[in-house]
Amino acid sequence: MRVAVTGTPGTGKTTAVERLDSDLEILHLNEVIHEEEFVVEHDDERDSAVADIDAVAEYLDGRDDVLFESHLAHHFDADRVVVLRTHPEELERRLVDRGESDAKAEENAESEALDVILTEAVERHGEGSVYEVDATEREPDEVAAAIGAVVAGEREPQAGTVSFLDYL
Amino acid sequence: MSETQDDKWGIAHVHASFNNTIITITDETGAETLAKSSGGTVVKQNRDEASPYAAMQMAEVVAEEVQAQGVEGVHVRVRGPGGNQQTNPGPGAQATIRALARAGLEIGRIEDVTPIPHDGTRGPKNAGF
Ligand SMILES: Nc1ncnc2c1ncn2[C@@H]1O[C@H](COP(=O)(O)OP(=O)(O)O)[C@@H](O)[C@H]1O
Ligand SMILES: [Mg+2]
Repeated sequence: MRVAVTGTPGTGKTTAVERLDSDLEILHLNEVIHEEEFVVEHDDERDSAVADIDAVAEYLDGRDDVLFESHLAHHFDADRVVVLRTHPEELERRLVDRGESDAKAEENAESEALDVILTEAVERHGEGSVYEVDATEREPDEVAAAIGAVVAGEREPQAGTVSFLDYL
Repeated sequence: MSETQDDKWGIAHVHASFNNTIITITDETGAETLAKSSGGTVVKQNRDEASPYAAMQMAEVVAEEVQAQGVEGVHVRVRGPGGNQQTNPGPGAQATIRALARAGLEIGRIEDVTPIPHDGTRGPKNAGF
């Protein structure tokens, strides 16, 4: 079983996954990308490393019983894809609190408002494999429990359950 | 009624989310909104709000409104992938552009300004136009 946990930066993926009690091997792809230098170029405007998706896919190849979390996690083969959602206003606050620049917080909030990652996840995996979880105003432990329920097969796939267009 | 300036152009901002499309037409500076429509106002059923049909209907309405204000053409700025099971830009965006053209508006530059989720890393940009 391969589980991808994705969502716009700031939706709480790393925090929730760290609290997850699971037999699956846990991979934080941001760490993997930096440690293994799976980078094709640097986006100076965004101060962000453009990940080498093929290299990461190869790294994940042959690993089973694994859960990987990253806002890029939906780009890779997975049996189930969890998409964490957080209202853009809360997301923006969290990112600024985490010390990100206003520009970074805003572009991510707008991405969240426009369902960019959800749409990519559904395009890549189909609605039958996508599990959208609204993490707005939910404690990290609750979010971890929701991810655990997906892993355990106790949740039905769903997509398009939130609308954050009011942010725009 | 009133005189129209020659070659008055606007900007059509298309926001395409998973479930909805919003079209706003502003003047060329982006400061003044000339017309606005969203999927919800044309098609009531939530699941259909991102459909090409809804986007086409909206585009017809806003095109008519801005033509009445003397606008002859629009540059298009698309934000958001839009719709499911479709490639970027979404079905809403493509149908919107076609419908704006069919309604008689000239179409100028088309730009994809979809935001990119990023922290210390980001993915490669989608294919775009
Ligand atoms: N459920 C939550 N409720 C409130 N704040 C949260 C929650 N989950 C994470 N946070 C905070 O939001 C910020 C981003 O969380 P993080 O787990 O790093 O997100 P991601 O890994 O998705 O980018 C951190 O400062 C974290 O403490
Ligand atoms: Mg993280």
